[in-house]
Amino acid sequence: MASASVAAPAETGKDLLFDASARTRWRLGFDRVAGWLLPVLFLVAIVPILDLVYYIASQALPTLSWAVLTNTNPHDPYALGVPIISTVYVMLWATAVAVALGLFGGVATAEFLSERAAGWMRMSANLLVGTPSVVIGYFGYFALVLGLGWGYSFIAGATTLAFFMTPYIFRVTDLAYSSIPRPIREAALGSGARPYQYILKVAAPIALPQILNGVFLAVAIGVGETAPIVLTSTHSVLVPQTLYSPVSFLTAEIWLNFSQPPGQALALAFQAAFVVLVVVVALNIVVRIISARYQKRLEGLYQ
Amino acid sequence: MSATPTPEAVESREPLPPPSSPPAETTPPRRTSRFRPAQLIPFIPALVPAALIVAVIAELVVSTGFTNFGLSFWGPDWLPSPSVGTPTFGILVFITGSFLTAIPALLLAMAIGLGIAIASTSYLPRWITRFLDPFVDLLAGIPSIVYGIWGYLLVAPFFGTVINPVIYRYFSFVPGFGGKAPLAEGVGLPVAIFILTLMALPITTLLIRDSLRAVPRDLWEAGLGLGATRWETTRKVAIPYGLRGIVSAGFLGFGRAFGETVMVAMVLNVVPAFPINFYSGTSTMAAEMFTQLDSAHGNGQFLAALSEMALVLLAISLVVNIVGRRLVSHFAVYEVPGL
Repeated sequence: MASASVAAPAETGKDLLFDASARTRWRLGFDRVAGWLLPVLFLVAIVPILDLVYYIASQALPTLSWAVLTNTNPHDPYALGVPIISTVYVMLWATAVAVALGLFGGVATAEFLSERAAGWMRMSANLLVGTPSVVIGYFGYFALVLGLGWGYSFIAGATTLAFFMTPYIFRVTDLAYSSIPRPIREAALGSGARPYQYILKVAAPIALPQILNGVFLAVAIGVGETAPIVLTSTHSVLVPQTLYSPVSFLTAEIWLNFSQPPGQALALAFQAAFVVLVVVVALNIVVRIISARYQKRLEGLYQ
Repeated sequence: MSATPTPEAVESREPLPPPSSPPAETTPPRRTSRFRPAQLIPFIPALVPAALIVAVIAELVVSTGFTNFGLSFWGPDWLPSPSVGTPTFGILVFITGSFLTAIPALLLAMAIGLGIAIASTSYLPRWITRFLDPFVDLLAGIPSIVYGIWGYLLVAPFFGTVINPVIYRYFSFVPGFGGKAPLAEGVGLPVAIFILTLMALPITTLLIRDSLRAVPRDLWEAGLGLGATRWETTRKVAIPYGLRGIVSAGFLGFGRAFGETVMVAMVLNVVPAFPINFYSGTSTMAAEMFTQLDSAHGNGQFLAALSEMALVLLAISLVVNIVGRRLVSHFAVYEVPGL
């Protein structure tokens, strides 16, 4: 909206530039140079991102095939299929735990807490998001690996990852429920709905797209996270058989292999990086699309 | 015509029947607001984030075993398993390293972010920014390990063979830029700072952009209507108006750069020593914690030192984030990872 409002003086600028005093010429000239130079800064974001995507793709794609992606041979230490399937398992567990913690937490915060208490909870969630991932990894290591005696295992790694993902789901659920138009809530409760009926039957259909959005975002963040799982689990050539088996993870494979000389190990690192990158970027794009549509839908509720 | 009834009409009314008093033997009705513990159940899930934070802090405190390393904990000597003598755990190197990487990265990210945000809000038309802004958002979504492998194998050699030698050749008279020649592999402070800048950039850009967009249209138009250029309006009207948001962008961007773990561990050439010059490696708290936990496994004193370091890192992160979040509330940027 601001960009529309400031477009006007550009047309008259040229005439003024030649007729005005030196001072005015300097001001208008500076403005014009800024208008040309500042947008160039976008290149600082665009060039690295294109370079990064191109580099990872160009290193991974020559060795990537369907056979590589589905190679789960336990005698091949560089099989990509094992980390992919293990990552799916870990993410299923982590997402389930994170949704269980974050979803109920978000709903309860939005619906039951006073503004003041909800503010504290929102601040806590924001702080959790700002907590370095290595600290969450340490928490998982001390509390789960050592404290609960789970060892370096699937369950310790996936649960630690869940702690990392929880605040994202919490915040989005809280936001989704808080931003439901107040008249809808009052209409439901005023016509005799019990709170749980309002939450499940009235609010949930409205809030669901955004909550789903939060889950996607949390999955995108979880899949790309390395420290929580590397600190709480160890490499394995097998898909986890029990909750307490060690487990491999795509980002952990990158961490283990990135400094190897060119060869199968490095190829595995690039393949894993490519898979992670594709999943994360795809999820981020989906999140943006859903988010944009949801905003329109929410605005439509008032009409 | 008067609506009030005359006294006669009132008196002529049938007297009301006496109110039926309740039978004396019934008990008074139950107070509906009586507290029952089950009423608390719906509130319990709401405590999740606070409980998680408290649990993280408590667990880290407990796992230090309340080991007192004394003043040497803040000292420069980090010798977790020396061949002779007793181990020393001083984290000054890592605190220095964390600030040494995060502050330059933050300054760069703030400057570039401010430029991008101003370009996006004041200069470029909407249809161009709709196309360009998602690139900045996407930077936030790239996992740090992917930044790391890209940085280690592509960016670092570029720094090592092109940028660092040029700086070394022409600026070696500047203190800190001379001395030992840069490595050809290029891993070290410049690469780490460069990629940290990229990682902090989406946070600073988005928050600054949001605060500039929140400036009322009237103020923009007032500035422009008085004859100020777009640059002058941005600098003298919009930026002062959105200053809180811009400062919060600084804090949150710093938090992001300060806590970054895996990418730094990959490109910084992690060694537990102060950097000898601009091109050398050092270590940060997060990177050291990440790479050393394996060797500390089973070593009580080492683990205690690492968890105390974790507490220091967490404390700084919390303070930075609390300040940053108190300045503004940004629901709008919940879709951005790490924000």
